[in-house]
Amino acid sequence: MATVTFDHVWKKFGDVVAVNDLNLEIQDGEFMVLVGPSGCGKTTSLRMIAGLEEISDGSLRIGDRVVNNVPPKDRDIAMVFQSYALYPHMTVRDNLAFGLKLRKTPKADIDKRVQEAAAMLSLENLLNRKPRELSGGQRQRVALGRAIVREPAVFLMDEPLSNLDAKLRVQTRAEIARLHQRLKVTTVYVTHDQVEAMTMGQRIAVMSEARLQQVGTPQSLYDHPANRFVAGFIGSPSMNFMNVTASGTGDSVVLRNDAIEVTLPEPFRGRLPASGNVVLGIRPEHLAMSGASAAGTLKGGADVVEYLGNEELIHVNAAGQDIVAVIGSEHRIRPGDQLNLQVPLEKVHLFDPESGVSLSPMAGQAAG
Amino acid sequence: MSRPRGAAGRGSPPGEPRLVGFLYVLPALAAFAVFGVWPLLQTILFSTWKWKGIGTPEPVGLENYVDVLGDPDIYTAFLRSLVLVVFAAILPVCIGLLLAALLSRVRIRGMGTYRVLLFLPQTIAMVVVAIAWGWIYSRDGIVNEILRTVGLGGVARAWLGDFDLALPAIGLIGTWLNSGLCMVLFVAGVQKIPIDLYDAARVDGAGPWSEFRAVTLPGLRNEVIVALTLTVIFALRNFDLIWITTGGGPGDATTTPSILLYHFGFEARRLGTGSAIAVVMTVVILVVSVILVRLGERGDEGVAR
Repeated sequence: MATVTFDHVWKKFGDVVAVNDLNLEIQDGEFMVLVGPSGCGKTTSLRMIAGLEEISDGSLRIGDRVVNNVPPKDRDIAMVFQSYALYPHMTVRDNLAFGLKLRKTPKADIDKRVQEAAAMLSLENLLNRKPRELSGGQRQRVALGRAIVREPAVFLMDEPLSNLDAKLRVQTRAEIARLHQRLKVTTVYVTHDQVEAMTMGQRIAVMSEARLQQVGTPQSLYDHPANRFVAGFIGSPSMNFMNVTASGTGDSVVLRNDAIEVTLPEPFRGRLPASGNVVLGIRPEHLAMSGASAAGTLKGGADVVEYLGNEELIHVNAAGQDIVAVIGSEHRIRPGDQLNLQVPLEKVHLFDPESGVSLSPMAGQAAG
Repeated sequence: MSRPRGAAGRGSPPGEPRLVGFLYVLPALAAFAVFGVWPLLQTILFSTWKWKGIGTPEPVGLENYVDVLGDPDIYTAFLRSLVLVVFAAILPVCIGLLLAALLSRVRIRGMGTYRVLLFLPQTIAMVVVAIAWGWIYSRDGIVNEILRTVGLGGVARAWLGDFDLALPAIGLIGTWLNSGLCMVLFVAGVQKIPIDLYDAARVDGAGPWSEFRAVTLPGLRNEVIVALTLTVIFALRNFDLIWITTGGGPGDATTTPSILLYHFGFEARRLGTGSAIAVVMTVVILVVSVILVRLGERGDEGVAR
């Protein structure tokens, strides 16, 4: 068991910066998800923990030990690869035991640990098979088992579910979560899928363009995104953004564009940029049907309606902008319908149009 | 392709092989039959004759085989082939593996150029190779010049004229010839091994040696089998290289079965004996090849231990 600490860590490949001044502390026993679009530096960060990638600058600690120059085998970590990376010519048993054999673990001990891991992952009947005789899900479990038998201080997982089909992915997601609850080993989990991140992570670190954007619990990222990138990346379908202009003073500041007119929510008072231009963000699931064209509503025509069963995903054309709303399917909205969508003021996010930073006083607290 | 005649007529499902398919393989089949099968059958026939190449052959049944297998010279000749196998097959495979292991994690600039250089020996006609190495090994050749320059003039000798060293000297030519072939095969093979496997091995705690044994070697299994098959056959049946460099001498120090074959068949005018040696060689090479291919397949079946 150990903490993992990035202290001003940089990674450069030639002139390309892959990880830009990363500061992140992963607690002992925590399940931390690194999430972001491809090329954001999340896998590189994970590989730096593993020791498979050298650190260009800064220091990386596992526990109290600076591991910048410690080879992978001495870091007390185990890794699950996206491709599983099972040794093709070895049986499942040998795959599980390989790392222990290299560490000169006594034979009896190896057998015991392999049996335990196999039981935990229901691999007992597969121990004498070779990887090519296993299904994708089984290979995935062997890869997990290979990490478990090592009893490492830190588990590293690099998109372990991305080669599984949708159903198996949901199952394995729960299985990994259960394993973590049982073993309570510090786990760093890399994914590009925000749903995986939200469902599995105790805390999530969102990365984009080599930089850490925000760290926090799934809820704090959802409720208080620190910037426009996090707001758009976390949550599905993703948040709607509209450019609006503030007018008026004091208590009666109004944000408006051609499709919307809302009063400035209280927490944002006095926090708007001098230009008065801001980006308003509202999540699709927070928009609600409203009867009249009252104040605080968004007006537009339904463009495309995607029926999902209990609800409908509606693309609304609001003054030329595509706005997505999730509405209960009992409303039976059809393409072409004119809609008034209620914008709940307490759920509105505002961002600086230049920097994309959230203007909410709460966002600052959630970050870090 | 081998469907019953009638089934290939009308009404056979589209995409099924049709008789016209045989037309496409006919040219290759004809060439193989004329230049491969026919000479082989002829040789087997000759091996049952007593014949000088002209005049009337006298059928003698298996007498030639009794002669050949009863002659201790043939066994000595095969032992010499074994020495050549070590030099021209096993050594190149080891060198190729070493290179592949070194290149498995390092990208080398200008790899293509090195590859061409190392593969070049394979493209040179054997006669040219043999004559060139004849010069290199000669009394005033490069090898001796170098030895004299570094003060080892005492060791210098006519390498191909030395009773003890002629055979290893020829073997080393084989090493030089075949190392490039093995390397090209193995380096290409190594690039097919997923890099994740190397990462997994490093995380598992493998040093360079365990990494080689757990990842590189199993990953190159098929390539090793192919390389061994090609080079072992080369070593067992080579004639031109030996004939041009030493002619089987000095004495009979480099006389392999193929040299014996030539001696009996064309010099001693005992075509039957020569043919019998050829058949014995063919059988030996066939058996060795089959064993090697089987070894390769065994690893592919994924049998549980």
